[in-house]
Amino acid sequence: MEDAFAAYHPAVGFLFFLGAIITGMFFSHPLFLAISLFSSLLYYLLLRGRKGLKFLGGMVLLWAAMAALNAVLVQEGDTVLFTYWGGRVFTREALLYGICAGSIFLSVMLWFSCYNVVMTSDKFICLFGRLIPSLSLLLSMILRLIPNFENKAKTIMGARRCIGMSPDNGEKRERLRHSADILSVLTSWALEGAVVTADSMKSRGYGSGERSNFNIFRRSSRDTVAAGVLLGGLALLLVGVSHGAARAEFYPRITLGEWNGYTLLGALGYAVFLLTPSAIHIGEDVTWRILRSRI
Amino acid sequence: MEQRRKNSPRSLIAMLLAMAAAAVTIYLGWRYANRQYYVVSVLLILYFMAPFFLMFERRRPQARELVVIAVLTAIAVVSRVLFIWAPAVKPLLAFVIITGIAFGPESGFLTGALAAFVSNFVFGQGAWTPWQMFAYGLGGFLAGVLYQAGLLPKKRVPLAVFGFLTVFLLVGPVLDTCAIFLQPAAINWQLMKMLYLSGVPVNLLHGLCVALTLLLVSQPMFEKLERIKDKYGMMEG
Repeated sequence: MEDAFAAYHPAVGFLFFLGAIITGMFFSHPLFLAISLFSSLLYYLLLRGRKGLKFLGGMVLLWAAMAALNAVLVQEGDTVLFTYWGGRVFTREALLYGICAGSIFLSVMLWFSCYNVVMTSDKFICLFGRLIPSLSLLLSMILRLIPNFENKAKTIMGARRCIGMSPDNGEKRERLRHSADILSVLTSWALEGAVVTADSMKSRGYGSGERSNFNIFRRSSRDTVAAGVLLGGLALLLVGVSHGAARAEFYPRITLGEWNGYTLLGALGYAVFLLTPSAIHIGEDVTWRILRSRI
Repeated sequence: MEQRRKNSPRSLIAMLLAMAAAAVTIYLGWRYANRQYYVVSVLLILYFMAPFFLMFERRRPQARELVVIAVLTAIAVVSRVLFIWAPAVKPLLAFVIITGIAFGPESGFLTGALAAFVSNFVFGQGAWTPWQMFAYGLGGFLAGVLYQAGLLPKKRVPLAVFGFLTVFLLVGPVLDTCAIFLQPAAINWQLMKMLYLSGVPVNLLHGLCVALTLLLVSQPMFEKLERIKDKYGMMEG
């Protein structure tokens, strides 16, 4: 299923992922971490469905390994759970820090996976095309050339297969040479093509005026609303954090910031910020179901 | 020429600003943000890369330069994507080195950074993206600088040796450092030694792969680039 949040303006998406990833890296306070982990997990599963489970399984293993590794390597912490190897200590603080740090890693990884699904390269270029015109032109040219090269390589390979010189003919040595030949043909063709493209660009007036760029995204009122909600959530979070709501220290003893209204406020803001895409996704899903059931 | 002269104080200012920002970041990171190695290091990388990109933007590159860089970057990306089934085989840097030598350190940096960025649209963007951009860009930059200083001949074997050493001593360790900063356990010497050591076989393979690619394709590539330059009278001087 299409993701409803992905249909919003790229600026909203970028704001969200920038905020989610940066804040995700900073907090080691269990409450904030739990919010980040939960919302990244939820959004990831909404985006990927069952296909995402395999990746998730690997990630959870990694997470467990990290927690264990930290507890084994780090000797700090006051609460000793047990000693081993004559003198090395296994402390509760190190174990819990490992779990928290592993969760940071896991949620940032999940946010990046979501980013890869939602923020496709065209959105990136749309966002930064004005700011960095030459670089974004370069980027879009590269992105176009890659499938182009693949097709051309297939054509060359087909032609060479006819004369018995494709990479799957002959001995190992010959195969290697045949592959290298294909690369060589491809390169010559690409470079010649590059000059022709450049001349064509020039004759059509490249560099004579301001560049426009690919943009099929229109700003609408729902983007403004979504951006407002996201920024509101971030603002609440900032208020909370600036009053020490997310303070967490692990060594030598676990000390968390005082639990008070600011903790609640910060956590609430964080949850609003991080759950917005999932809420939009689920909301769209529900609307669709209702509409369909009426038919 | 005139434009370049006009730009030089600006780029100097940009460089000084970047350095000042770097100093402030390191200080703040040291003083306030305990254990935020990753964030601080990525900020430093961004300060380092920004002048390259800004200079490229400022220069208003001609169509031919743009397209040739695009093609070389795309070739580098394809060389990595072709081996998607064997993640350790990354000939990408070989093409970046060739670009650095053929078109100068700035183009080398640009190609390396962009190739890393674009290939991650296939492999997946992640927290490692800035580090990869930095590492590969640095490889291309170094090749260009050494070639222009006359220290690196355009010959097959020295190039292969250079490619291997660059990966083994520079690019590989830089990427390992990224892995160290990304793993969440508190960083100490013991852990760092362990992780760097565990990176050695991977870097060895990566280096050999780059060296082999340079051995095989560097000369034909230079010939082709020369031919293009001759045929169309590009990028003289």
